[in-house]
Amino acid sequence: MRKAIAPIVALIVVGAGLATFFALRASPEPVTSTYFLMDTVLTVKTTGGDATAINEHLHALASGVDSMTSYYKSESETVRVNTAAGRGPVSVSPEYAALLKAAMAVETIDHGETFDIAIAPVSSLWGFSTKDFRVPAAKEISDTLAYSHSDQLTIADSTVQIRDSRARIDLGGVAKGYSLDVMEEYLHTVTPQPRQVIVDFGGNLLLYSGGQKHDWKIGIRDPRGQGIIGYVRSGDAFVATSGDYERYFERDGTRYCHIIDPSTGYPGTLNQSVTVITGMEPMQGAIGDALGKVFFCSTAETQHSLFPAAQNQGAIGIVIVDAAGTRSTLGPITFVPTTDQ
Amino acid sequence: MKRSDRITAVVILTAMALVAVTWIVMHRTRGTVAVVRVDGRVVATVDLTLREPQTLHITGVLGPLVIAVDGKGSIRVTESTCTDRICVHTVPARSPGDQIICVPNRMVITVEGKGTGIDALAQ
Repeated sequence: MRKAIAPIVALIVVGAGLATFFALRASPEPVTSTYFLMDTVLTVKTTGGDATAINEHLHALASGVDSMTSYYKSESETVRVNTAAGRGPVSVSPEYAALLKAAMAVETIDHGETFDIAIAPVSSLWGFSTKDFRVPAAKEISDTLAYSHSDQLTIADSTVQIRDSRARIDLGGVAKGYSLDVMEEYLHTVTPQPRQVIVDFGGNLLLYSGGQKHDWKIGIRDPRGQGIIGYVRSGDAFVATSGDYERYFERDGTRYCHIIDPSTGYPGTLNQSVTVITGMEPMQGAIGDALGKVFFCSTAETQHSLFPAAQNQGAIGIVIVDAAGTRSTLGPITFVPTTDQ
Repeated sequence: MKRSDRITAVVILTAMALVAVTWIVMHRTRGTVAVVRVDGRVVATVDLTLREPQTLHITGVLGPLVIAVDGKGSIRVTESTCTDRICVHTVPARSPGDQIICVPNRMVITVEGKGTGIDALAQ
């Protein structure tokens, strides 16, 4: 009988060894990198593949988008277009023209009432570009608002022209989402493929698992505290959130957030946060980012009536926390609230 | 029971124990900790489950920052030389995934640990 034990022992030892080996091999450690750009934080968490190199490359791609779209950097295409306001057409790169067109396409779903890339002069009045915050006089706002609309823009194939010399454009509302588009396009071409990449760019997410069809659990931040109010599930996606809780200032007990409602010239007050989920199609990162602003500056009724148009643009689902803190969703997504302890 | 059966049983149990230990070691999760990074480099790690309050003095890219751990599971920034002071006004962090960010100082506090089970936080 003794002889019978040896093979059993050998089998168990080899089995345990193999199990451990495959378990370790199956779960490579994620590599997390943090970068600072566009006045916020970019965190990339890559599991599998050449993770460190992927993280570095994603950062470089975001820096490229920043250099192209920045409202402040003197060599950016935005600054070139703005400096030529009132003077004539400026030639822009095909990428820049495509981004402008995507942003303008979102504007058209409600005629620029809730999102307008040309609202920049009004945002500047409030001090959001200099962080020298103030509440402007009503007259100042209405005078500035008169020329702060994208109907000031003429976009041809490769040129952009701003007619009024005082008008300005700012792509800050789509630049983070667009960066995620550029990253996603690159990730598809990488070999060996990473198993998972989670990009968090100032709270805007890219969730990538390539062909693995991962079922992601996306936490929705509590807009009036830390922690989450619940989560939604999704496959690979872009997730864009517009909230009133990150960039804002307070005067005499009133909160003024950085998202200016282009129909009034005042900061949006209808919602606390809006999270838009879009799928992995070209430009969906930028479009989701812009749709976030549209729904942030909309009433519940408008949100419902605009949702079919948003779906046509690519929106899968939207999670909304309104000004009273009431939560709702649009589209075929299930929001699972956190049970209060 | 034969002696050989007993040996077999011991061997099987030992093997199972080994697999169990390996499993636990591989899936070990830390308690809730706050990781403080400046420019992507970890400068402090604080166990938020500790009961005694403590104060951290760290150096950001811009200047000094004071971070308070209240001994009740929360961490916050109490002093910073940055102009917008968004970090000081951020709600104290306590749950996994919570973040406090000071962009001028390139400083990020992230609460890590098990608990929420989410992959990413939309904010």
